[in-house]
Amino acid sequence: MSNSIYTMGIDVGGSYVKGVILLYDSENGSHKIVDKQTEKIRKRNPKDVVVEMVNTLLDRNKLSYEKDIKYLASTGEGEMVERKTGHFYSMTTHAKGGIFFAPEATTVVDMGGLYVRAIKVDHKGKVMDYKMTGQCASGSGQFIENISRYLGLAIEEVGEISLNADNPEVPSGICAVLAETDVINLVSKGLSTPNIVKGINLSIAQRVVKLLGALNAQSPIVLVGGMGMNVGMIQAIEELSQENKKSNYEFISHPDAIYSGAVGAAIWGGFRYFKLKQKQAAVVA
Amino acid sequence: MMKKIQQILDECKELAFDLNFTRSRKWLEENPKGVVVGYMPIFFPREIVHAAGGLPVGIFGGGDRKQIVKGDAYYQSYICHIPRSIIELALDKHLDHMSGFIFPSICDVIRNLSGIFRQHKVGKFVKYMDFPQNFLPEIGGRFYQQEMEHVLSYMEEINGIKVTPESLNKSIGLYNKNRELIDYIYKIRQDYPWRLSIADVYHVVRAGTVIPVEEHNEILEQVCHYISGEVGEPQDKIKVVISGAFCEQPAIGLIRAIEEAGCYVVDDDYMLGSRMILGDIDNTSENPLEAISNAYIKQSQYSSSIYDVNDPKEYRLAKIVKDRGADGVIFASASFCDPSLLDAPIFQNAFNKMGIRYISFQYSENINQFKVIKEQVGTFSDSIKLWEGEPA
Repeated sequence: MSNSIYTMGIDVGGSYVKGVILLYDSENGSHKIVDKQTEKIRKRNPKDVVVEMVNTLLDRNKLSYEKDIKYLASTGEGEMVERKTGHFYSMTTHAKGGIFFAPEATTVVDMGGLYVRAIKVDHKGKVMDYKMTGQCASGSGQFIENISRYLGLAIEEVGEISLNADNPEVPSGICAVLAETDVINLVSKGLSTPNIVKGINLSIAQRVVKLLGALNAQSPIVLVGGMGMNVGMIQAIEELSQENKKSNYEFISHPDAIYSGAVGAAIWGGFRYFKLKQKQAAVVA
Repeated sequence: MMKKIQQILDECKELAFDLNFTRSRKWLEENPKGVVVGYMPIFFPREIVHAAGGLPVGIFGGGDRKQIVKGDAYYQSYICHIPRSIIELALDKHLDHMSGFIFPSICDVIRNLSGIFRQHKVGKFVKYMDFPQNFLPEIGGRFYQQEMEHVLSYMEEINGIKVTPESLNKSIGLYNKNRELIDYIYKIRQDYPWRLSIADVYHVVRAGTVIPVEEHNEILEQVCHYISGEVGEPQDKIKVVISGAFCEQPAIGLIRAIEEAGCYVVDDDYMLGSRMILGDIDNTSENPLEAISNAYIKQSQYSSSIYDVNDPKEYRLAKIVKDRGADGVIFASASFCDPSLLDAPIFQNAFNKMGIRYISFQYSENINQFKVIKEQVGTFSDSIKLWEGEPA
């Protein structure tokens, strides 16, 4: 039996579908991301987006689902992935994905479209404890997306533009509706776009730092999920963290942070493939 | 000609949640002398109503499809949800074609509900049916037979039909077949749970509580035929047994969510009444009421409404877990359901000692938000799939 197999991870989030093909190595754990793709759901049926993504990834790498992919793992809204082999809960996959990107990390902060979650992990990616934001959208990537739309920015520009802020003003961090009203007022007051965006990043960063405190988190902390690629957000978190000696954390970011769920799912898929093979072999023996 | 399976499943789904009980109304039109008898959870020996020319119809509340306006006025806020929705159904005339109502002894709430039905003069008879807690045939068994005789006398007053041993044995035979077919579905799902989702199983079994048993047996035959073949694709999920959801039914979204979160449900007590008697009831007896009674005393499934000190329920549930090859148990209790919530610590204490993994949560029939429960079930599934055998 080969030690390397192809697995796929599909992470269906609130706004985006993320997919990876992984070359899973059962021998020494040096897994490799073979290919990856992100797709905004927009107003489409997420099931259709998933089918298209799986086919695109397979075609691009000249792989066959039936012959080559040993485990297709879903995470997030798993019921949208019809051809899956198994499903893993999103906290489990983000924890594993975070450790894949930063093996030295002891805490993973998943900043996704719907909420922020701080997860304590061991070196294997096992979840030891966690804290997450409540139901309010003001601490979510979806909120950033809404604001960027109001300000006429592409979501990709949001991070960079906030680095140019010189006098940010922080809107309400409690309620997304109030925060959006605050932003309209800030625009009316003539505040520059970088300062508005930086203020929003700081507002969300406050929540992240509070979560880390509540979790009694240890450094290094890896930032994953869609907002984990937002350089403005990372800067805001680092700034707030440094203001307080108690919470002076060391953060790690990664350019593929948005794929942490999909990568984690693909790794766990590979793990399960070999575990199930072992079980079958034991039954036969 | 056999119907396509999807058509059957769609029809069952429709029947299962038909709060107007359309099929029983139609049955009454077709059988003008017939008597429709509504019964509440958990269990009622439907055979006797069938033999007396009646149609037993299960009333399992309004679920998430009936807005409660009047029902809340009858119960305090710390009482479960099902009696409110049953009152709402009665006051809104959903049950107006039913002549009688059976309230099996489960808890004080159902007992009080029978009193409210009496006060409102709903139907021609209201019977609070006590089930024996004494498991000696000559004591508890005799008592149970008398309870069934009461129901038959109410029926006879309405339609003049006197039940004979022959007619009752024939009805017992039909329900034996019914239980056997349902059991077959669970046996197949034990090894091949992907062939039919638990939500579909639920629809199929629940549909049987509102239609004639003869029709339900035909449906079950076709479903059994379908799942006997290689259908569906297996997925990497853990196997679980659901316990505690025997009276107030969870919303179908919750039943589905558990499987979506990474579990195959290989046994459950959702529609416990339809599976209460294990195996056949003797349908050759000269005293069929005694046969029904003996079956209840000797062949009942474990239940929160049965207190048999000589046959502890925790070991019976543990045996189901073992026999089904389940990885763990999910205790799902309706909020404020005393029988279920009082049993849970007994089960959990025993399972801690036996090393059976479990989680527990509470639900309400009208709650349609399952995010937290999905997270809990997903974590449970992952912990077994990924960390089984690892040191804690």
